[in-house]
Amino acid sequence: MSTQLTANLTEEQVQQISAELDEPDWLLETRLDALAALEDLDMPKVIRTPGRDWTNLDALDYETLVDPLEWEQEKDRVDAEGVDVLSWSDALDQHGDLIEDHFGSVVDPQRDYLTALSTALFAAGTVVYVPEGVAAEDVKIRTTMNSRSLFNYTLVIAEESSSVTILERQSTGTNIEGEQYYSGVVEAVAGENAHIQYGTLQNLAEDSYNFQVKRGHADTYASIDWIEGNIGSRLTKTNVETRLLGDSSESKIVGAFFGHEDQHFDLASRVWHEAEHTTADLITRGVLDDAARSVYEGVQDVGREAWDTNSYQRENTLMLSEDSEADASPKLIINNHDTEASHSATVGQVDEEDLFYMTSRGVHPELARNMLVEGFFVPVLEEVAVDELREDLDDLIVERLVE
Amino acid sequence: MSSDQDHLKEADTEARFEFKKEEKSAFETEKGLTEETVRLISEDKDEPEWMLERRLRALEQFQQMPMPTDWPGQPDLSEVDLNEIVPYIRPDIETRGGAENWEDLPEEIQDTFDKLGIPEAEKNALSGVGAQYESEIVYQNMQERWEEKGVIFMDMDKAVREHPDLVKEHFMTKCVPPSDNKFAALHGAIWSGGSFVYVPEDTTVDMPVQAYFRMNSEGMGQFEHTLIIAEENSEVHYIEGCSAPKYSAFNLHSGCVEVFVRDNAHVQYSTVQNWSKNTYNLNTKRAIVEEDATMEWVSGSMGSKATMLYPATILKGPGATDNHITIAMAGEGQNIDTGAKVYHNAPDTKSTIESKSIAKDGGRTNYRGLVHISDGAENSSTSVECDALMFDNESTSDTMPYMEIQENKVDVAHEATVGKIGDEDVFYLQSRGLDDDDAKQMIVAGFIEPITEELPIEYAVELNRLIELEMEGSLG
Repeated sequence: MSTQLTANLTEEQVQQISAELDEPDWLLETRLDALAALEDLDMPKVIRTPGRDWTNLDALDYETLVDPLEWEQEKDRVDAEGVDVLSWSDALDQHGDLIEDHFGSVVDPQRDYLTALSTALFAAGTVVYVPEGVAAEDVKIRTTMNSRSLFNYTLVIAEESSSVTILERQSTGTNIEGEQYYSGVVEAVAGENAHIQYGTLQNLAEDSYNFQVKRGHADTYASIDWIEGNIGSRLTKTNVETRLLGDSSESKIVGAFFGHEDQHFDLASRVWHEAEHTTADLITRGVLDDAARSVYEGVQDVGREAWDTNSYQRENTLMLSEDSEADASPKLIINNHDTEASHSATVGQVDEEDLFYMTSRGVHPELARNMLVEGFFVPVLEEVAVDELREDLDDLIVERLVE
Repeated sequence: MSSDQDHLKEADTEARFEFKKEEKSAFETEKGLTEETVRLISEDKDEPEWMLERRLRALEQFQQMPMPTDWPGQPDLSEVDLNEIVPYIRPDIETRGGAENWEDLPEEIQDTFDKLGIPEAEKNALSGVGAQYESEIVYQNMQERWEEKGVIFMDMDKAVREHPDLVKEHFMTKCVPPSDNKFAALHGAIWSGGSFVYVPEDTTVDMPVQAYFRMNSEGMGQFEHTLIIAEENSEVHYIEGCSAPKYSAFNLHSGCVEVFVRDNAHVQYSTVQNWSKNTYNLNTKRAIVEEDATMEWVSGSMGSKATMLYPATILKGPGATDNHITIAMAGEGQNIDTGAKVYHNAPDTKSTIESKSIAKDGGRTNYRGLVHISDGAENSSTSVECDALMFDNESTSDTMPYMEIQENKVDVAHEATVGKIGDEDVFYLQSRGLDDDDAKQMIVAGFIEPITEELPIEYAVELNRLIELEMEGSLG
């Protein structure tokens, strides 16, 4: 399957992007290969329930959305001591070999149509390099999208026994009209005993289409934690994934989403247990109002050789309106019996008794509901290590509640 | 367990299912599936024109539909070549439509069911019994007191002739149309045998009725159809049992069950499936449940090479209830892909799904389930619980639940756990003098107890025996 898009895209454009970033040949080649592959690649898999796809990526008109050379953003990078937080051109300059080693090693540049498109066209983005033994907190990357389309690529390399917490914020500037397309790819490599917490707060304008792939490889004793806050966009399709490749490695995928009006979230998370004594914990909570729709899938995949696995998953959705819809599908794929695994999912509404209790104490019903919804997110917020992310997420939730 | 007790443990359980009988048939179609075959079956059954038309329409749908191949983890169906199946074998019996006395049956068929213990069970615990051998019901009988109350329990083929109005209205129309899936369409074209159960208003059939299905010939397909109509305020429990001897070629079982549960009625449908391990078991089972009525599915799947079975319930009337209880056990070479489907289409409906699966020796169990709550199905609640037990890292256990929620005033909960047999539990039992095998058997029996509890005692015992048989000597 391919779309009309390639008609609009040329090798020259890709060469131009690459030249502007002063890239080495191998990266240009990777881009051109990805461009050439577009023709044969399928759209990313969306979540299916029996017989139905709930998200239609083919219906997007990429021709009007994508403008490869006209990209504009505002980037604010806050580094921490001992960590390099660099633009692509600086990073290629300083850590060329390292980047060549890791680029595309976690996220296959040709895993699907939209990822290949991102690889071919990305101009914005950040490389975070954490040298051995460095412990860094509060790396912040703030991206404001100021063009019709933006392709953002982030590579995180954490060397042995290092640790880093990263907060990425995505928002839209005030001057763009019409629909937009944001595409983000994040690759995270956690070396032995390295710890990465990568938090994203997505608050893009509500006429934007948002596609994100985040994937990490965890080595022995390493941990990769993903925090996903989804508030903005018209349509969001995310894949957040960790491969636990080293013994005793761990991963958490923590998600919070709040949809209203006609927002659509298609959120997939997946952990592969591929070594011994690994642990995964997937926790997502979401609220839906108006005619918003969510489709959630979480997969815990325990391999044949994954002895002594612990794997847990919880998903809870709260529905605030008649017209909202929620689908949930937590999946277990277990190939080794030496596993303790569980998953659970619930869908419900604000508890009538709780509401009654609060109104009987004189709290206005509207306020009572808002307090209960805010409280619903607490178990997720508690997992967030970066204060700014937790506070901002909470603020955005409250803001949406009082709208 | 001492050897004395071993001796009492129905040592011939295996023999009860594995024996073969020489094939003897009165009429057998050619292999394969053509319009000609369908016409032959219909003609041999002396069917009315409308049924033939339905069969031909289903055949057309079957030919147009693709094989299901893109379900994650599904059994491999590439071996299922429908041109290699003998779809219809009429056993050589005098009385079509089912004899009323076991003595009237040819000796080898009588002997088959004797070995399976059916006549014995009939005496003790059942209101009625039907027995199907190859493609047709060979025995059907019900206690007189139920007949007097207007309860009907008869061979499906006979029902087409004797109750055309009821059958015409309910047979593969609103409940399972042939277009539902490829194997439902196949079934619609070449179905044969099965039971028709009709329970009039305000009637409680207090002992279960049972049908037993036996495939005896190599390379045959069995396509029995079960239609149950429970009128207002009635109650019935239907049990089906299945078995076949093992051959080298594959067998195909593609049954269809349709259940209509009218207002305030109660139907329980229990299955103990023990097809031989060369059988593909691809069934469609569905119930439509009206106001304040209850449907219960209880299934134990031990046999077959591959099973794809997801009993479905449509909760159509307000206050309707569904309960699903399933056990699946997969050993070497088996892929048991089973689960449940529930549609909440009315307010105040309630469903519970309880699934237990055991995978060992490289077997694979999948739980695949769907709960759909439609817009307007206010105050509905559903709870899904799946537990899987695994013995080794050769085996696979997948849990794939789907929930589609279009209504906000609902209570939806899903939970699943996967675990291994606890070494501590085994150690505890061993320290009490049990050997390793017995300890594990006991833990498995405890694991599935919530399900065996729901079965009449004879079946609970049978299920336990089957599981013991599956477990014997296979544990490391």
